Amino acid sequence: MLTDRQPRSFLDPQVLARLSAVPLLARRPMVGSVSGRHASPHRGSSVEFAEYRKYVPGDDLRRLDWRAFGRSDRHYVKEYEADTNLRLCLVLDTSGSMNFGPGAMTKIDFARRICGALSYLASQQGDAVGISCVADGIVRTLPPRRSPAHLRLVFDLLDEVRPAGPTRLPEVLHEFAETIRQRAVVVIVSDLFADPAALASAFSHLRFRRHDVAAFHLLDPQEIAFQFQRPTRFLDMEGGAAIFADPIDISDRYHRAVEAYLADMKKIVLESAVDYHRVLTDEPYEQAVARFLVGRAAGRGLR
Amino acid sequence: MTFLQPWVLFALPLVGLPLIIHLINQRRFQTVPWAAMMFLLSARALSRGYSQLRHWLIMLLRMLAVAAVILAVGRPLARGWLALAGGGRPDSAIVVLDRSPSMQARDPAGGESKLDTGRRQLVESLRTLGPGRVMLATDAGRGPVEVPSPEAITELATAGPVAAATDLPGLLQSAYEFIRENGAGTTEIWICSDQRANDWRPDDGAWGGIRDAFAKLPQQVRFQLLSFPAPAVGNVGVRVGGVRLETVGRDRQLVVTVSVSRLEEGPRLTLPLTFEISGVTSAVDIELSGREAVLKNHVIPLERTAATPGFGTVSIPADADPADNEFFFAYDEPAPRRSLVLADDPAARRVLELVAGIAPEKDAVATVDVLAAGGLAAAAWGDAAVLLWQAALPEGPAADTVRAFVDRGGQVIFFPPDVPTSAAFAGVSWGAWTTHAAAVAPESWRTDQDLLANTLAGGALPLGELEVKRSCAVAGDAVPLASLPGAATLVARSSEVEGVTFCATTPAPRDSSLASEGIVLYALVQRAIDRGRSVLGAGRQLDAGSAAVAVAQANPAWTRIAGPTAGGSTEAGLHAGVFRAGDRLFAVNRPLAEDVAAAVGDDRVDGLFRGLGFSRISGRAGAADSIVQETWRAFLIAMLLALIGEGLLSLPRQTVAAVTPAGFRQAEAAA
Repeated sequence: MLTDRQPRSFLDPQVLARLSAVPLLARRPMVGSVSGRHASPHRGSSVEFAEYRKYVPGDDLRRLDWRAFGRSDRHYVKEYEADTNLRLCLVLDTSGSMNFGPGAMTKIDFARRICGALSYLASQQGDAVGISCVADGIVRTLPPRRSPAHLRLVFDLLDEVRPAGPTRLPEVLHEFAETIRQRAVVVIVSDLFADPAALASAFSHLRFRRHDVAAFHLLDPQEIAFQFQRPTRFLDMEGGAAIFADPIDISDRYHRAVEAYLADMKKIVLESAVDYHRVLTDEPYEQAVARFLVGRAAGRGLR
Repeated sequence: MTFLQPWVLFALPLVGLPLIIHLINQRRFQTVPWAAMMFLLSARALSRGYSQLRHWLIMLLRMLAVAAVILAVGRPLARGWLALAGGGRPDSAIVVLDRSPSMQARDPAGGESKLDTGRRQLVESLRTLGPGRVMLATDAGRGPVEVPSPEAITELATAGPVAAATDLPGLLQSAYEFIRENGAGTTEIWICSDQRANDWRPDDGAWGGIRDAFAKLPQQVRFQLLSFPAPAVGNVGVRVGGVRLETVGRDRQLVVTVSVSRLEEGPRLTLPLTFEISGVTSAVDIELSGREAVLKNHVIPLERTAATPGFGTVSIPADADPADNEFFFAYDEPAPRRSLVLADDPAARRVLELVAGIAPEKDAVATVDVLAAGGLAAAAWGDAAVLLWQAALPEGPAADTVRAFVDRGGQVIFFPPDVPTSAAFAGVSWGAWTTHAAAVAPESWRTDQDLLANTLAGGALPLGELEVKRSCAVAGDAVPLASLPGAATLVARSSEVEGVTFCATTPAPRDSSLASEGIVLYALVQRAIDRGRSVLGAGRQLDAGSAAVAVAQANPAWTRIAGPTAGGSTEAGLHAGVFRAGDRLFAVNRPLAEDVAAAVGDDRVDGLFRGLGFSRISGRAGAADSIVQETWRAFLIAMLLALIGEGLLSLPRQTVAAVTPAGFRQAEAAA
């Protein structure tokens, strides 16, 4: 149900239609305000049996299990799982490095598509969606809301945001962990160009706050391949000092540095239980989102 | 390093080309906005030192490759193993060959001789260098002779071995005169020698003049010495010290004194000496324990009907130097011991008559003819051995007569007249008399050679017992043989003319005790008589060299009758053998100095060429390698190696598969 009729460059209705087939699920129980399709830590009135509990005065007599009383001559109350909605908090990296993309699509364009698709899917299933644009701090933020009108604000923000400035992602994530009051699905869309150790600390902080953390790690193929033929002056897109280097000389060590960084990231996300998705920006974003959704659907039932 | 195309070296600044291209390339950089700066920073921090080293190594190898190409195009030459000389292709090359007998020493394996090795290496070098003209200097008198090609050096008879010593200073002087007169351009003088002292004569005063003359030449002259200083290992030489024909009763016998010698002491050897006389061979062993052994007065019986003059050879088994394993000798009936005495002072005349008239051998007859001042023409000059002259030095026709006598081999001993005149003979004249307050004895005299040398038994003549009361000064160019205190000369020989001796006092009792201590005067006179007789017989010994050449040229019918066939008529007198000239026989052999001369030290040789462009290449007899080789192939190989090294270092490092986009996707798919 689209309440926004304005065409958005980052939304493709066909892709959204295909993605709608897979629900967006949380890997952890969520504490929502209304009934939804996500597991809650509390007992509720769903059809899914949870446990027997001894009757205590004050319990609703309608929930007494008379068959159990007949078998054991004791009063038991039959409890069921509760289903609730979730809060989807999108963290979009808008630092200068996200503007990189010598090909058809920059990393920020790719991130817009992911965020747009996830916002739409969450809103469709009645979940609250919020977004925070971060660079060297939280640049702009929209708190999670369930209303369709709020979705338009999210899309507007995605439209308007422009990458600039340096990255202070670990610090921003720490701040973020402290400011979100309830459990949420925190989806980070970034190139994660930060110290892996600092990122590990931030991820652990979010996990400690019982958030379900997912990360889309966006990388451009050129950043991986590093194929240049001539001496090159590399201008830092985040405003740092330029570096002059002969790529022929430096490429092997560049690749070693990339490899070490990716290995560190892999280790960190495993330790921090982050739902980590490494994505090259030359692949269809639909695949990345679908992989994300399917992975979560396969893990449904965890509470 | 020598280059055949030295002008190519002007391109050497091109060595800097890789550096310039690198600098230009650095200026042609591109600017790229970049996000993943953290990887770049890490990459720069990772082993930057090795990267820089690799970078500079690549640059160095590229520069080396360019340098190697340029040097290879310049056609570099390597001389010897390490001896490198400067310069390019010379306009002319003069080859100075030491052909003396010692150059015929072979390497221990019995291969080539030093001379053959040197000539072959010279030919290879000259063929490589390709000088405009090639000259061969083997005869100081004729000077360098142009040869059609370097190969002629090994083919020409005038470049072959001889028995004579080499006059190195003379050859270099002739080379200098050739360069000066012909205005040759850049010249290389190649000397091939074994540095023997008797060939080089390092003490010869001519060296200073030669050095100065070459230094003043406007042309560039370089000297290259191809040196073979190593002595022939275990070489022994044989030599006949004396030979005489004796008649004992009705039998005749040859009395020969033979010596064998070597340059350095070695193990005790027993050498068989083989004599061959008129086709009859006899042998006798000789023990050699030190440096020299002498077989004195070895008697070889002759047939009663043996013809005179005759000749023979003595030889030892083959060793490292075949040139000194055989010695020729000629003999004849003993020449008469005829002496001529001309003395103003009757006392002196009487003494001289006595010492000349008493023959040392028991049965020998000595004849003395006393001459009057005006009766020179009537004297029997033809068969006289010595002239004892105590009078004013001859002048005019008398001097000519005496000079002719000396020139044909006669010996003259001059004693001072009472009143010396200004006349000079053979560059020497008498000065004033000096009367010594007390009789003085000779202070020093030459015991190694000449008329006052030690006896064959090794004992010195008793000159120290002489008393000289009066002596006359000897003025002119003379070599002192005995000196009185205060450096006054007692006995001297002319350095201009051989066979002329001056005694500064007379045997008269008022002047000296030469008569009363008669041994010294007797030895002096008898030795002079022996020398004079040695040229009188029909069998005569000659040292190969200038003396033998003079005799050969004076006798047109100079024919070899024994000895190895070598050399042409132009080199008569330089080769060993027995030669017939009319009814006389001449045995020509290597000079004595060839057997005893050691090699001149390298420092000494360097000193002889001080201030001139000189380099020395030490060779070895039988060495197969060439002394000058084109080495451009080595430079091309160096270039190839440099390019291969550059290529290996420039190869991109093996890319980590997991961080290529394809590898990245595979890893993600697997995960």
